[in-house]
Amino acid sequence: MKYLGIESQRPKIGVFDFTGCEGCQLQLANKEETLAAFLSCIDVVCFREISSASGEGFTIALVEGAISREDEVERIRWIREQAEVLVALGSCACFGGVNRLKNDFDLDEANREVYGDQPKPTLPVRAINEVVPVDLEIPGCPVSKAEVERVVQHLIWEVPFRFPAYPVCLECKQRYTVCVFEMGELCLGPITRAGCDAPCPAAGLGCWGCRGPAQETNFEEFLSVARERGFSEDEIVDRLAFFGGFRGIA
Amino acid sequence: MLFRCLSKEGFRDLVEMTLETIEVVGPKEIGRDKDDNPIHHYLPVSNPDELDFDYATTEYSAKTYFLPFQENLSTYRFDEDDWTQDIRYRIQPRAIIGLHACDINGLLKLDKVFARDFFPSPYYISRRENTFIVGIDHEPCEGGFCRSLGTDTVTHGFDLFLTDLGDRYFVAIGSDRGFGALQKVHAREITDEDTHDYLTERQRLAGLFQAEVPVHDLGTLLDIEFTSEVWEKWGRKCMSCGSCAMVCPTCYCYGVMEKVSMDFERGVKQRQAYSCNLVDFAEVAGGHNFRPDSTTRLKYRYYHQHRGFVEIYDEPKCVGCNRCGRTCLAGISPVEVITDLQMDEQT
Amino acid sequence: MKNLFQPYDVSLESEMLEPLDFNRRSRLKETDRCFKAEILNVIRLTDMEKLFQVRILDESEGERFSFLPGQFVMVEVPGYGEIPISISSSTSRTGYVELCIRRAGIVTGALHRAKRGAHIGIRGPFGTHFPIETMKGYDVLLIAGGLGLAPLRSSIFAVIENRADFENVHILYGTKSPDQLLFDYQYEEWGRIDDIDLQVIVEEPDNEWTGPVGLITKLLDGIEIDPQRTFAIVCGPPVMFKFVCSRLSEQGMPMRRMFISLERRMHCGMGKCCRCNIGSTFTCMEGPVFDYWTVMNLKEAI
Repeated sequence: MKYLGIESQRPKIGVFDFTGCEGCQLQLANKEETLAAFLSCIDVVCFREISSASGEGFTIALVEGAISREDEVERIRWIREQAEVLVALGSCACFGGVNRLKNDFDLDEANREVYGDQPKPTLPVRAINEVVPVDLEIPGCPVSKAEVERVVQHLIWEVPFRFPAYPVCLECKQRYTVCVFEMGELCLGPITRAGCDAPCPAAGLGCWGCRGPAQETNFEEFLSVARERGFSEDEIVDRLAFFGGFRGIA
Repeated sequence: MLFRCLSKEGFRDLVEMTLETIEVVGPKEIGRDKDDNPIHHYLPVSNPDELDFDYATTEYSAKTYFLPFQENLSTYRFDEDDWTQDIRYRIQPRAIIGLHACDINGLLKLDKVFARDFFPSPYYISRRENTFIVGIDHEPCEGGFCRSLGTDTVTHGFDLFLTDLGDRYFVAIGSDRGFGALQKVHAREITDEDTHDYLTERQRLAGLFQAEVPVHDLGTLLDIEFTSEVWEKWGRKCMSCGSCAMVCPTCYCYGVMEKVSMDFERGVKQRQAYSCNLVDFAEVAGGHNFRPDSTTRLKYRYYHQHRGFVEIYDEPKCVGCNRCGRTCLAGISPVEVITDLQMDEQT
Repeated sequence: MKNLFQPYDVSLESEMLEPLDFNRRSRLKETDRCFKAEILNVIRLTDMEKLFQVRILDESEGERFSFLPGQFVMVEVPGYGEIPISISSSTSRTGYVELCIRRAGIVTGALHRAKRGAHIGIRGPFGTHFPIETMKGYDVLLIAGGLGLAPLRSSIFAVIENRADFENVHILYGTKSPDQLLFDYQYEEWGRIDDIDLQVIVEEPDNEWTGPVGLITKLLDGIEIDPQRTFAIVCGPPVMFKFVCSRLSEQGMPMRRMFISLERRMHCGMGKCCRCNIGSTFTCMEGPVFDYWTVMNLKEAI
């Protein structure tokens, strides 16, 4: 494709997964109406556990999942060395995700609880950016394919892409969702970064903050809003900890 | 202005006849909140029974039928290192039945921005001209202070305006379109009794207002109170979520953004509703933010409502519907903010 | 009932059928239609700024396009976005306009990559202008700091092309360092024009710099001003115009005779989107050119 006199290139993309549910990878194959166009703009050279010896190089690495084992540390370092651009996909890669709840327990105890008498080697869960530098983070559980598309478009053509600075509330309002606080639900919408199009509140479920904090959060006011409506400290703390995005704030 | 009297059956016929030709939007109960209060939205209806004129207020104003949250300003088609621009603003006609006076006044204010003077917007005008508006009188909603702003009554900006007289409607006619519609449902000439009943009802409604906001000389007050602690007090509570601007009948700030299709064959330039309370509202290229904190942003929201708009159009932008106050989780209420400012000046 | 609700077609209003002309602000038209324009030339000014010579492709549209010094256009790169850019060329120049653009974001980035011959869009002109006509018969101070020379350049042309209409003319320009100087290839020409005092100053000189060193206000020290006979145009960042204007004000110049150009991020250029709102003033409609008294009263401007 040629535009503004510039011929665009198809970037070579590698897709990798770490500790996670692979739901974000699945999202990449989602959104059928644009899937063909998506694949025609990029050159996928690695997808799913193709061995690290894979001959073809990639310039962009899309990485899903958190880091929770020693071999994962090695592998993400290798990917970082190969890739010009490393993109963390989803809440696990960006914040540690649900996996990170493990860090609140004694590691051995957690290991026994899950694997019984056959414990597996494990490390405290870390987000990708706690192990290697990350160029772009697309949070969400799972990531939104539309957002991945826009990031990829941005990487190919440098077209505008910006995560919304504002919180989820704005998107709820823009789709005429009745505020779930009005329905007696707890919701992290007022402090969570928008861009997901607020599907959870639209379905009557308060936001769980999978996209982490908005550019600016009024955490103090949020706490008093939640407390005034009768939510307990435990409820609030649990909600904030769930995806790991509010570390350092909450 | 011309007036007619319309029976309730006649009105029902009017709605049914309208439904046969165009989309009809009106107040509709969509559910109940946790305290079992009804929640109303302006939504398309399929029969007259879905219209619930007993509503106190709607969560959203009818603004978005004229200024949708997202609207395509133009589309581009890319081909052979070139592009063509396509602009469309044709709209199918629609009727909105059951707007309160404050919401129609809100539209009149938007008209001043989008349909008059400089650079009238063809997108807005197209929606406005193609919307048949039927207003209705109502008892004041809780917390509404429209009477303080003179927006509890309206004299134009609608096709028909109804006042419920129990067994019939007293109808003010605002356009030839409205006149023509009434003819089809056999509205009759008004009698002295109709007029008497109408005036009595208007008086009763006016007497029901409780919320009042002293808005006299608010513009000067805002200038004097520019550094008031009141802004700090309320601004600290603001979560910069923009909900107030979304539900407001007159907030019209927007951003323009462009997107391209995945194959870069098509592009779209979109108007996207924004809010002056959002953190990056006044950010410029290079990252400098002229309004970095929520306190300043909240202050300027009030400045635009009660000073800036007055300077240009000789009236405040606010209609006193209190939707912003109701929707704000942090409880920032315009009545309290303005009252605080007035108090601050006195002490 | 059907005939009551005939769709109303805005595009059939008589004004809509007239040619697109943004100078006729009050007429109904396709406000978001842009003139398609071709990048004729790209001139590298510094590492950060390039000058684009842009020609409106449709000949009759190009002929109708006219502007005044200080006005801006919205530059559209379809797919990327639209940004406000002040016009840097002479109002007497027909055939193309010149836009000096710093690489600062997505749209300017795309423009900097774009090749000669690429097609972009232009809407405008928008906004207020410098009162060149009123300044005739007076002494004129044209002062710019940094990128401020871009919006000032059109006024410089207006003055030097009509030199006889003005009394004493001073052009003062300052930047941080010599490599940031814009249009340095033109100083020689401007300076040679009969009786124009052109002075350039930098804050941080390099080894080759032989000119004066310091802030722009230093250049004012060497100039005698008759406060009642002088107009000033000051373009630059807020801190710069604030110092310059308060200095001139102290010397007795009325604030109503100093003009500055404010920078805000307009999204529409038409007084609608509110993004360039300063307190209660729309920079795109009541500005970008303001007199200093007005700016003093804009609480957020400085």
